[in-house]
Amino acid sequence: MEDSQLKDLLAIYSHQLEEARVLNLQSWVLNYKCYEALQSQKAKSKLKSLITFKKFAILLGILWMLILGYLLFHSFEMSKIFFVISVSAIIVITSAAIIVYAYHLVLLAKINNTENVVKTQETIARLQASTINITRILFLQSIFYCTFWWTPEMILNSPLSFWLISFPVAFLFGWGSVWLYRNISYKNAHKKWFKILFNSPEWTSLIKANEYLLEIERFKLNA
Amino acid sequence: MAPNVNQDEVLRLIQEHQKIIYKICNSYCNNKNDREDLGQEIVYQLIKSYPAFNPEFKFSTWMYRVALNVAISFYRKAKNDNKVTLVSQHEDYEDNNEHVLRLEDNISILQQFIDELKELDKALMILYLESKSYKEITEIIGISETNVATRISRIKEKLKQRFSNINQH
Repeated sequence: MEDSQLKDLLAIYSHQLEEARVLNLQSWVLNYKCYEALQSQKAKSKLKSLITFKKFAILLGILWMLILGYLLFHSFEMSKIFFVISVSAIIVITSAAIIVYAYHLVLLAKINNTENVVKTQETIARLQASTINITRILFLQSIFYCTFWWTPEMILNSPLSFWLISFPVAFLFGWGSVWLYRNISYKNAHKKWFKILFNSPEWTSLIKANEYLLEIERFKLNA
Repeated sequence: MAPNVNQDEVLRLIQEHQKIIYKICNSYCNNKNDREDLGQEIVYQLIKSYPAFNPEFKFSTWMYRVALNVAISFYRKAKNDNKVTLVSQHEDYEDNNEHVLRLEDNISILQQFIDELKELDKALMILYLESKSYKEITEIIGISETNVATRISRIKEKLKQRFSNINQH
């Protein structure tokens, strides 16, 4: 195809894109009430829903930490050693998540659609990549939910049920959480287990974030 | 933005430049409902962001930035939709001669090619279709003019290659 033919074709296509007015734009813009209508669409804003989700997660995390902290404070004795270790680990991981989520809120407030496309998309992708990374870390705490109720007496008095039931279950959860930590990535997005676990467009977009960040880097470097 | 503050002005400007919204919605969404949603989201973001608009710059440049950012974020949600092609508009043509049919085919190939482009390359292509200068594309996208020129040239080469491959078969 010659340059001139391609130019003509692009011009026709460009014109078609403008003329394919399947939208109801005219009525939104002309109607004075559209402002109110648009305000009601606020909830649909992707950033708004993300901010609400993160605020809720922080609130829930703080509440959970307070409960765990209270229980921990009243449990410092040798007979509750597994409880102390498990709850401490959960508190550490939860605090990390709260700090990261608070940092996300700061970044979300800075996202500005009026900035150039690469800059804005890079900030959004960084946020999303960070969200998926902290989710992977949160999976790691699942083992501690299997060990907090263990006691030294339980191991000594009922070794059979401990080594045949409690320990294998905890081991399975531990192995599963490490496996998930290592395998939650875009490379596995096509697999069945992944689709069952993350069956929503929001998650798909989060999982793709790391990949997208690399794409933006390549785009900036003209690679 | 408080209601009435600059509202008439921003609505007038959006109306004046509404082709930008049509072009972006039609490029990033194949589904009619998604186009509606995206169009509405873009208009909402434009009204909300308008107080930050610096009148020293061109409104269309600013509008492209907002609309493309909203569209790319929307598009990345990776919805699987039924395709509604723009080619269907040609149904009105009475003269379905060979030339028109070939044009339809070429438009269809071009649309498929643009659909397959990555989000940022698609944004570049939209601006190129609009005959924007490399300088203005740089302001909107945020990469160097050289980078813009190289990427557009590569995309055009790939497009030509696509057409020549199809013609050979």
